[in-house]
Amino acid sequence: MIEVRDLYKRFGPVEALKGVSFTAPDGRITGLLGPNGAGKTTTLRILYTVLRPDRGTALIDGHDAVKEPRSAQRCIGVLPDSHGLYARLTARENIRYYGRLHGIKGAELEAEIEHLLTLLEMQDIADRRAEGFSNGERLKVAIGRALVHRPHNVLLDEPTNGLDVMSTRAMRAIIRRLRDEGATVLFSSHIMQEVSALCDHIVVIAHGQVAGVGTPDELQRETNQPTLEDAFVSIIGSEEGLQR
Amino acid sequence: MMERIWIVFHKEVVDNLRDRKTVAGSLLYPLLGPFLMLLVFTVLGNTLATKSEEPLSLPVVGAEHAPALVQFLQQNGGSIQPGPADPEGEVKAGNQDVVLVIPPDYGEHFSSGQPAPVRLIADGSRQSASVSIRRAKGLLSQYSAQIGRLRLLVRGVDPAVVEALAIEETDVATPQSQAAMFLNILPYFIIFSVFIGGMYLVIDTIAGERERGSLEPLLTNPVARSEFILGKLAATIVFAVFSVVETVLGFYVMLNIMPTESFGVQVSMGLDAMALILLIAFPMLILASALQMIIATFTRSFKEAQNYLGLLPLIPALPGMVLFFLPLKVQLWMMLIPTFAQQLLINQVMRGETLDSLNVAVSATTTFVAGLVLVAIAIKMYEREQVLVGR
Repeated sequence: MIEVRDLYKRFGPVEALKGVSFTAPDGRITGLLGPNGAGKTTTLRILYTVLRPDRGTALIDGHDAVKEPRSAQRCIGVLPDSHGLYARLTARENIRYYGRLHGIKGAELEAEIEHLLTLLEMQDIADRRAEGFSNGERLKVAIGRALVHRPHNVLLDEPTNGLDVMSTRAMRAIIRRLRDEGATVLFSSHIMQEVSALCDHIVVIAHGQVAGVGTPDELQRETNQPTLEDAFVSIIGSEEGLQR
Repeated sequence: MMERIWIVFHKEVVDNLRDRKTVAGSLLYPLLGPFLMLLVFTVLGNTLATKSEEPLSLPVVGAEHAPALVQFLQQNGGSIQPGPADPEGEVKAGNQDVVLVIPPDYGEHFSSGQPAPVRLIADGSRQSASVSIRRAKGLLSQYSAQIGRLRLLVRGVDPAVVEALAIEETDVATPQSQAAMFLNILPYFIIFSVFIGGMYLVIDTIAGERERGSLEPLLTNPVARSEFILGKLAATIVFAVFSVVETVLGFYVMLNIMPTESFGVQVSMGLDAMALILLIAFPMLILASALQMIIATFTRSFKEAQNYLGLLPLIPALPGMVLFFLPLKVQLWMMLIPTFAQQLLINQVMRGETLDSLNVAVSATTTFVAGLVLVAIAIKMYEREQVLVGR
């Protein structure tokens, strides 16, 4: 479970976050929807410990991401916006590096890697160097290394950005599978259709603040709109920076 | 903690060993110094050696005016050639090192006991002609002195009367210190190899990591920033150690296969001197690698890192250049300046001087401590949020 408590973050003159709070429960897919520049990536970056908030904090399975980043990091698997691989290492070696950094080793690690290679249908590229991988292949390796330590919380920043239809479908299948295994899944997107299709729980974020929270049904009911997408537009007040 | 540092270290070494550019750079650059030195020695050695062994080729214009002088020159190692029509032009063009012109009134002056004029045409700015010029001048003054003494004897005067001073030259330059003139540049190449050996690795593991977008996910792993830095630093140092050892071995082989005696100087640099040089150089490894890492954390791209880090090894070269033109007496305060201290000490080793153990200890300690401070700064830099974007 992820609990975000009153996050503030300023970059020079820009107030990126102005008191963001929400909860992403276990066994649910929580979508962070908002136009570009709303503060989605900043929120996620604070959660996965590469940024420090000016105020507020976030708890990941009870571990304070600001005060005890090491403990929080053990509970999360992350697919950041930039997810470059080591081009001279093979897919397997890329995943193995992250597994080892998490303290997994030996037969246990190799078994887990094998499991992920099967799950992500990438046995054929497992021992090829990452240079020359397609976007989809690169994403699979990035997902694989994010999940190698079987994290209970999975954070994904715009995970289907730039993917073709097949890869997008595969990505969604993985996200649902993680939820069904009981994980907390939190992903950000500016694509309304994606959030509608996947999410059990939606946090709408705009101008560094939470503009609306709820299940798809709740959001639709509260705003009195015929479709979920109309509900989003009505909550944010504009369609700018969103995608249908 | 050690285990995580090892994991980072291991990954960076394996990853970079697969990079042809890094490996080629790390293997070839350290040989640059020994190779350049070999080239200089070969060229310089050949010119100097051949010049003093061969008979001095001396074109003489107007040889018929002074048969006795010409005979003297011939007997004392001069090979007299017929003089060219345009002696000054020939020398200017570099076709002749030196030309002797004997004017027609030579005989007249000579027999009347006046100083007889002779003209030596030479180009003083040509380094390669210096040996010929010196030899020609030497032969002429030798002849002049000999005739002068004879004239005094004829007049019943002891020639010793005109020699007010008896100059006795004692050259304290050992053969090693003469050769060391040419070798003054060697210490700098050792410093250069300390920087260049790990440079590609720093660029790849710090600036490259960010540019290829693998830094952000890496930092989400439960590993302290200090552990990342120490692992990457260790990998850098290992590459730099190879580079330094390679350079020193390169010099060792070069100095021992080169016939350095052929131009009158002798350098004997044994394995013990080489080991000493390595010992002096090693404290610089941490300093150089950490400094490179700090700079790389500030750069925004691979290219930018390459530009800055490429210039960095030139900074310690500046005091080294001073050393080349103006050999200094080693003093204790100089040991407080990292890289400069090491250049002085390595220079002493090459000259065959005994090292002052206090100097060695002070230089090693200050350089080591400065290195540790830089490592701490590098870790602080890596802990900042801005590390994700550079600056």
